[in-house]
Amino acid sequence: MPAQPAAAGPLLHLEDIVRTYWLGTTEVQALRGVTLEIAHNEYVAIMGPSGSGKSTLMNLIGCLDRPTSGSYRLEGQPVSEMSDDQLAEVRNRRIGFVFQTFNLLPRSDVLHNVELPLVYAGIPRAERRERAEQAIARVGLADRARHRPNELSGGQRQRVAIARALIGNPAILLADEPTGNLDSRTGADIMAMFDELYASGQTVILVTHEDDIAAHARRTIRLRDGHIESDVARAAPATARQ
Amino acid sequence: MKLRAELAEAARISWSAILANRGRGALTTLGIIIGIAAVITTMTAANGLARTFRETFSAVGADVLYVSRMPWVIVNDFWKYRTRPILGLDDSERLSQSLRGRAIVNPTIDVGLPASFRDRTLESTRIIGTTDRQLIVSSAVPALGRFLLPVDDHYRRRVCVLGHEVRERLFGKVDPVGRDVRLGASVFRVIGVMEKQGGGFLGGPNFDLQVFVPVSTFARLFGDRSTDRSVTIAVKALSHEAVPELEYEIIGEMRKIRRLRPGQQENFSINRLDTLLTAYNNVMGVVLGIGLLVTGIALFVGGVGVTNIMFVSVMERTREIGIRKALGATRRSILLQFLIEGGIICLGGGVAGILVAWLITLLIDATLMPASLSPQIAVIALLIAFTIGVLAGLAPAWRGARQDPIEALRYE
Repeated sequence: MPAQPAAAGPLLHLEDIVRTYWLGTTEVQALRGVTLEIAHNEYVAIMGPSGSGKSTLMNLIGCLDRPTSGSYRLEGQPVSEMSDDQLAEVRNRRIGFVFQTFNLLPRSDVLHNVELPLVYAGIPRAERRERAEQAIARVGLADRARHRPNELSGGQRQRVAIARALIGNPAILLADEPTGNLDSRTGADIMAMFDELYASGQTVILVTHEDDIAAHARRTIRLRDGHIESDVARAAPATARQ
Repeated sequence: MKLRAELAEAARISWSAILANRGRGALTTLGIIIGIAAVITTMTAANGLARTFRETFSAVGADVLYVSRMPWVIVNDFWKYRTRPILGLDDSERLSQSLRGRAIVNPTIDVGLPASFRDRTLESTRIIGTTDRQLIVSSAVPALGRFLLPVDDHYRRRVCVLGHEVRERLFGKVDPVGRDVRLGASVFRVIGVMEKQGGGFLGGPNFDLQVFVPVSTFARLFGDRSTDRSVTIAVKALSHEAVPELEYEIIGEMRKIRRLRPGQQENFSINRLDTLLTAYNNVMGVVLGIGLLVTGIALFVGGVGVTNIMFVSVMERTREIGIRKALGATRRSILLQFLIEGGIICLGGGVAGILVAWLITLLIDATLMPASLSPQIAVIALLIAFTIGVLAGLAPAWRGARQDPIEALRYE
């Protein structure tokens, strides 16, 4: 997958990000000042116990949310200052999501699920179809294009989700517990797919609480109580396949 | 381009969502179905009435003025006209003299009397005293035999021309020309039969139940001025453009005939087809207004039902909204999706409503009056249905469009 032509500077830059919620009358500080940079073609795992703020961080990186304070620049763009609809466009063009629960549209077939981001990008139907078919072939589901999600196994569903995430050539592939709902063998297949994507130049960010999943990444960021506890890069993966 | 892709996507999802909830959708649209059926039926009935009306009164003629004692249409203050003097054949004759060369004048007097032939009797016939000029003033012509001639009037002959239905019901297959019929207590010889004209709808005159006799014969046998029976004088203008001026002249001549001093109120009326049309339009306006009000209420209730079901639909699909937003759907795309869904649901109701209205129209056509469902009305009805659906979907769609993607994705 061709990555975005390398812009000057990091792929994403978070500066002193604070995110607070109001739960009733209680203020919850999910992130208490996170500063972080991720470069093009990194393979990053974000880890931390529940309540550490990793979901909040993922939502912010994925442009689903805006910080209470601090700045977030994605490819130099100040996304922390964008409107809802501008964020939607950034998600559409620069972010590919893979969720723990797959989040496919149950009533649509594989082909339509995969082409959906292109619909919102306004790509003409013929081109959408062609690109969707290529993406589906790439994850090895060419013979399942006309099936609905409930006719597929969990691993196949997650591959559909990956095809959907990749179809718009995103800057970041953002995966939230991508193997959480899969058995370990299928999970390993999915992780192998992420490894391959990384090897071909794709930036991959995993959010996980499992060490052996995080071990696929080259850099592990640990969160605790809304702070970055540690940020460790490795030269070589612990469970490399190649 | 982007909008087109979004619209196509919206139509596609709406369709699959509606298919998945067929039963619910069908129940919801009941109000819309009834409302649309009512709209179409009201409009179709109004059209049918208007057509029937025009056909019925085409015999009256647009370039003919009718001078009579009382106006054709009396809204109230009937008492004001009751004391007016009667118009007699002599009045008609004088008017005819003074308008000679500028108009054709024909007097008529009528009375309801039974007509009988052998053992058959028809109670609802209308006997009309008139002259040969009836054919010039009205559009009807005899289908059989001949019409009245000046000579019939001159000699006060006891001859008559039957309306189409009178002939059918009294004579059946028998050729009536040359036979004797009894009109009231007098015997007349049939000299002709008029072609079928129609009418008789909603209490209007039925031209096929008329029997024409010479006006002089009528006056002698049934009376004119002497028995409180007033003549109606038809005045046909030589051209349509001459009608306004002719009306003015008639007023002047009639005032002379009636010996009215300047400033004195007229004690006769001049009627024309327009008078009837105006009255008819007033009545139809009220009928239509009531029909559309009832229809509006049905559609409003139907729309509220659709709003309700759309709220359910938006809530059920919260997670879907979350997914779509994560993939780049803007507020507008989500809004469009649910607006179109509402529109399509109501469009379905509209189609069903048209089917219902079509059946009702067939029924009306078979029993009441000629009626047919026009394609224009059907298209208007569909547009109305779609608009209501979009309006009904507005609040739910807006709620869906405003969803926070994170919360929506978390929704179970």
